[in-house]
Parts: sequence; C-alpha cells; structure tokens
Amino acid sequence: MSIVLSAEKLVKTFPGVRALDQATLTLTAGSVHALLGENGAGKSTLIKLLTGVYRPDGGRVLLAGPDGPQEVHFGSPQDAQRAGVGVVHQERNLIPAFSVAENICLQHLPRRKGLVDRARVRSEARRCLELLDVDIDPDTPVSRLSVAQMQLVEIAKALSADSKVLLLDEPTASLTGDEADRLYAIVRRLRDQGHAVVLVSHKLEEIFAVADTVTVLRDGRSVAEAEPLARHSRDQIVDLMVGRAYQEVRLPQRTVDPSAEPALVLDGVSTSAGHHDVGLTVRPGEILGLYGLVGAGRSELAKALLGLEQITAGEVRVHGKTARIRDVGDALRRHRIGYVTENRKEEGLFLDQTIARNIAVTVWRRLSRLGLVRDRAERALVADYTERLGIRLASPDQLAGQLSGGNQQKVSLAKWLAADCDILIIDEPTVGIDVRTKAAFHELIAGLAEQGMAILLISSDLPEMITLADRIAVMRDFAVAGELVNDHEYDRMSQAVIRLIHGSQEAA
Amino acid sequence: MKNLVMKNPVMKNRALKNLVRTNEFTLAVIAIVGFGALAVATDLNLLTAGTMDAFLRFLAVPIVIGLAQMVVLVVGQMNLSVGVLTGFCAMASAWLLVEAGVPAPFAVLAALALGALVGLVNGLLVVFTRLNGFIVTLATMTILEGLRYGVNGTGTYQGYSPGLRALGGASVLGVPVVFLLAGTVAVATALFFRHSVPGRRLLASGGNPFAARLSGISNDRALVLAHTLSGLLAGVAAVIVVAAFGTVNASIGDDLLLSSFAAPIIGGVALAGGVVSVTGTVLAAFLVRLVDVTQAQFDINRRWVDLIIGAVVLGAVLLGRARDKLTGGAR
Repeated sequence: MSIVLSAEKLVKTFPGVRALDQATLTLTAGSVHALLGENGAGKSTLIKLLTGVYRPDGGRVLLAGPDGPQEVHFGSPQDAQRAGVGVVHQERNLIPAFSVAENICLQHLPRRKGLVDRARVRSEARRCLELLDVDIDPDTPVSRLSVAQMQLVEIAKALSADSKVLLLDEPTASLTGDEADRLYAIVRRLRDQGHAVVLVSHKLEEIFAVADTVTVLRDGRSVAEAEPLARHSRDQIVDLMVGRAYQEVRLPQRTVDPSAEPALVLDGVSTSAGHHDVGLTVRPGEILGLYGLVGAGRSELAKALLGLEQITAGEVRVHGKTARIRDVGDALRRHRIGYVTENRKEEGLFLDQTIARNIAVTVWRRLSRLGLVRDRAERALVADYTERLGIRLASPDQLAGQLSGGNQQKVSLAKWLAADCDILIIDEPTVGIDVRTKAAFHELIAGLAEQGMAILLISSDLPEMITLADRIAVMRDFAVAGELVNDHEYDRMSQAVIRLIHGSQEAA
Repeated sequence: MKNLVMKNPVMKNRALKNLVRTNEFTLAVIAIVGFGALAVATDLNLLTAGTMDAFLRFLAVPIVIGLAQMVVLVVGQMNLSVGVLTGFCAMASAWLLVEAGVPAPFAVLAALALGALVGLVNGLLVVFTRLNGFIVTLATMTILEGLRYGVNGTGTYQGYSPGLRALGGASVLGVPVVFLLAGTVAVATALFFRHSVPGRRLLASGGNPFAARLSGISNDRALVLAHTLSGLLAGVAAVIVVAAFGTVNASIGDDLLLSSFAAPIIGGVALAGGVVSVTGTVLAAFLVRLVDVTQAQFDINRRWVDLIIGAVVLGAVLLGRARDKLTGGAR
C-alpha cells in the first residue's frame, strides 16, 4: 500500500508548553488510522498542524505527489484543503442558513462570469454526497438537518476538493449508536475507495471495530507509530496511552474523617444540561476529583450547582440540608459555595479593573458602611489574601490583566476565600500554568483541604488528579461512570481511570 | 506587607507618570490651553463676570446629560432617548406649574420621578425583551418625541414659578447655582461608582458580564439600574432647563443627543462598558461648551460646530481603540 501522507518529527510549542515533541504520523491509502492519546497528549495540535490551522516549529509534512513524496507547507486551512487534506473538526463548521450544496462547495464556489454557478454547485455537491452514498437533498438549508446529517454534510464538504486524506475528530461525539454505526459504514466505504482516513475517538470499542492501524501519542510524542491494531489488546493500548514514566510528587498525607457530615451531597441529580442520576459526596477536608474527557459534563455540573442550569430531579444537600440554589448569589451568600472557573480570563476576572476590586467583588457589601465600601477595609482584606496566597503584585491598584497566569489564577481563587466559602469547586486550576507554579498551586489546594474546606476538583490533567484527589469520580456522557478511592499509585490509578472512561467493565 | 502604598521617590515619580498618561490629564491640558486661548482672543472679555456666568450656566445641562449617557455606557448600553426625555420631563413639569398650578418643589420632584420611571421602563424592556438597548431606546425616543409635543403642541410655557426661576438665575460667589448643582451631581456619580456597592457592581457587570454572573452579580439588575439612573439624570437636566432658561417648549432636547455621547466618549468612557470617568466626561463637556462659545463669539456658522464636535467624537473613539491596542499587549 502506498503512503499518502507522512508527518515527521513535528514540534509545536506554546508559551510554557511543548504540545508536540517530535510526533510522527504515517498514513497509507485505503486504510483507517486511529489516533489515540489522553487529554493533552497532542492529538488536536497534530490535527491542526496537518490542516494548516497552526504552523509547525519543527519537522516536516510530506504528501504523495505524481513525482513521489513532496514537502508541503500549509499557510492556511484553505491550503491544506486544496492539497487534498480534508478535516471534520469536533465543532460544527456549517452555515445554517445556506443550503447543503452551498456549504459543501463553500471553499471553492464554482463561478461563471463572476457569479456563482448554481447548477455546478448543485452537481458538485451531489457528486460528493454520492461518494458517501447518502440521500440528502442538496437544496435543503442546513438548519433543517439532523445532527447526524450535518455530520455527513461536513464529511462531504471535507471531500469536496478530491481529498485523499480525511481527518475525523471525535465524529461520533454527538451521535446515537445507530447513527455512529452508519457513519462508520461510510468510513469503511471511503477506505475501500482508496482514501486514507484518520479517526480520533475516545470510544475504544469503535476504534477496534473500524480502524486498521494506530498511532498513540503521549506527552506530544508518538509512543506507537502506525502499528496494526490487530496486534494490540485493549489493555495494551491503555498502557501505551497512560505510560509508566510519570514522576509523581507526593503531597503530605491528609486524613479525612469518614464519619464527618458531608459538606455537599448530590443525590440522584439530573439537570437541564443533560446529566442523569449523578451521585457525589464531598466531606469537609476532602478533595473529590471529577475526571472525564472534555464534554463529559463536568463544568456543566458545576454550573448546575450554582443555579446556572436547572436541577430537574434528585436533590442537592449542603451540610445536611436540602439546598435549592437559584443563582450564584444564592450559592455564595446562603450556602457559601465558590466556583473558581476554568477560563479565568473570560469568566473569572475583570481584567480592566484593579486587583483589589477583583478580590473584594464578592464581599463589598460586608466591607461597606452606610452603603459605601470602606477603602481601608478593602485594602486590609486584599493585603491579607495577597500575602496568604503569595500573589506577586506591584500594588493592589494594578490591573488584573497585567498579572501573569499563575497570579491571575490566585486572584480568582482569593475572591472565594475572601467570601468565606467552605465548599469550593475548582475547575481546571492549572491549565496554561508553568510547572513550578503548578506544584505551588497543588500545595495551596491541599492546604485549603487541610484547613477543612470541602473541594470538588475538576481537572483533565490525570497526574494532577492523582496527586491531589482523595477520591476520583469519573464522568462519562453526563453521568458518573464510577468512583475510585485514590491511593496515589500513579500506574494503577491511571489505568483504572482510563478504563472507566473507555467503558470497560473490569474497573476497580 | 501592610504598607502597600509606598512613599519612596521612585514610586511618586511613577504615580506622576501614570497621571500624565491618563486621558483626563490630556483633556485638562487641552481645556486649559483652549480656555486661555479663547480668553486672549476675546481680549479677556471671556473673563468678565457676565460672560463667565453664562459660560458656566449653559455648561450645567451638557454635564448632566453626558453623565446620563455615561451611566448606561458603563454597562455597554446606549440611551438614545436621553435628550428627548429631558425635553419631555421639562415640558411635563412646566405643565404642572402652569396648567395644574402645582407648587414648584412638587413639579421638580415630578420631573425627577418621571425621568427615573421612563428609565426604569427602558431597563425592564431591555431585560425582558432581550432586545439591544439601542433599539429599545430608539423606540422610546420616538414615542417620547410625540408625547413631548402632546403636552402643549408648539406652544411655549413661561412666567411660571418666580421662585424656581430666581433660583435658576442665582449665583453663589459668582458661580451659577445650576452649575453647582451639576457639579454636585457629578461628584455624587463619581462617589457612586467608586464607593457604593451597586456602582461597583455596574462596573463589574459592564466590564465582564460572565465573570460578574459567576461572582454573584445580577447582570439584569445592573441593566435596569443603569437605565433608571440614566432617566433620573435626564430628569435632573430637565429641572435645570426649567429653572435656568425661564421658558420651555417642545423643541428642548433636540440638540442634546450628540452632546450626550460626545462628553463621555471624548472623556474616555469605553463604548464596550466597564470603564467610567466622571472627570473626563465633565472636562469633555467643558470642551464642547468652549467650541460653542467660540462659535458665538466669532459668529461662525452653526454647521461648523456640529462638524467639529462630530469629528472630535470620531477621533476620540479611534484614539481609544489605538490605546487599547497598545496597552492590550500587556495582557
């Protein structure tokens, strides 16, 4: 079989992170190739390099041409598409008001005398849809299609430039089982037509059913390169994804009193976001980890606890009492639940305002007399927390936007501590933060638990989870797939967690 | 650690540098230079008691109307109805004085309450319809325009409450009372945003509604409050008009819309919300007044004034964007 595309020793660094470290990928015509790896292993970065979204910092991409392999440089997604590399990203990229045909031909609308040639748009679209053997009217507006149909239109669009390579990023994430089966029938059909298909999916059963070869990424490197999938068992693949070389940092052991009254209990909770029958318990002084893939419903669960999503069934108990939380003000002032958000810049901070205001925002009322906030009280409070959390600043009047990522994160934590929260939901606390600050942050979080705070830690960083959590609940598809007592043994824990995520029954 | 306000010379120097870099400082320099130049050009006629008095008396309404626009800009909204609302409140209180024979204090209170009520309605409409404030206030502006003429057609009210008019014409130590009133309103507005909890919440909500919501602040409440305050300030402007001008007709407020935007925007208030500058707004209103007086002194065609103010507003917006780009690099 002939090699269509090979990526050699690709390197990509972002500030503070090496996302890809000499990753290699080789694709052959007429095969389905699985690309696997944990959260943050570099799958998305690799796909973005191959489709011209990012440019590599090192390495090269070769594409088969009439005179043998040729090095290519994609300056934009259009370049990649023109060269025959089509992609369907996880998020939708269709224009709802346009017809199916217009969407399929969007990148290279056929023209006649400067105007769009409608007849050719339609025939071109029909040809692409026929490749997939699906029956969708090219004149239908995309807004009227089902999710599964949109997915097919995306694939047709990716094929519209005679693509030899098709990259599918989690194509079945929003499909039902039947729809996924149909999609994979189409994938096999494309393979038989001679396309090279790359499949990124966290559903291992689907991978084993449809893929021929596999590349596994770990920490930005390829730890298995284009190996026939038939040679591996599922456990071997999980081992490859998790790795055994992790250097663990041990934090001092904390003890949680198992008889203490739980600070927060979720009992059979279903929400308007789509959670069903979620049961969780967090005790004072305990860190409950909530692990899962992106899109498993973890942040949404946090938002439901803050009243930003409706709880449709079950109940939430705070310190033993049934709690009906209508909004964040309720959560904060009546139940003392704080939420350190995942996106500190977008949702956590007021970048144009001073650090003092950012920290004191939750407690202005408490600091005021006769309706006016007392400056001196505010400054004392801010000085207290900047010192306790080690926030490095020139002055409390500095704007929050001028701080480094780690310090910004501390500011967005400080406002909840200032508000005397005793239940803290911390969402992805160390994303985009350098290694040393990360370790300091872990100590800080462990210290808060030590002082008796109940912490619900949401993280996609498995090492972080195994370092910090007392128990780890794994979420999958908006439900709890299982809960594990963390013994901080990285190898054993990571395998157990990954098995739960991928739906194996043999979980601990 | 407690002594965060450092008092060494380096920090003092930096504080001075930061002050010089502010928009307010630039405006103050332009205002002083412009005022000086105009004084010289008019052979110091500008500095005579009578001219100064008129200068400040007619500065009161632009300041208050600029603040009325500013409080909605803070939450990223606009209020197109401020000018017409001022006219409507003025007509309504004049009607109360002339036709209904209501005592002056009640007519004043009624103007304020009416302004706040219309603002409240604006705010509630924005929150409940989820329509853009621009559209909502465009609609209320049009409705109010009709109502304003409905009070007394094209007729003029005059000769009402001698007490109120005397107060509007009075001066304390050479400073008109209405100007003092505008100044007091400005100080109160500054204090509101600097020290009161609702004021700070408005700023937080305007600066980052997502973060505000996740900090327990209701963005809806912020929108309603901002519009209500805007209406209330339009009511204050109406009271100044009734007291200081001595005559009221249905064309009042027509020329206030542009200047209501001019003051805060030149003053450095961000259209996107979250930034407030009472000092900047007041200084910018002063500058606009300066352009007006120059026009009157030298008998320049009125059209040129509009052109200049329009150009300055545009320039201020572009300058603000350039500054954001420069400082944005620090993030």
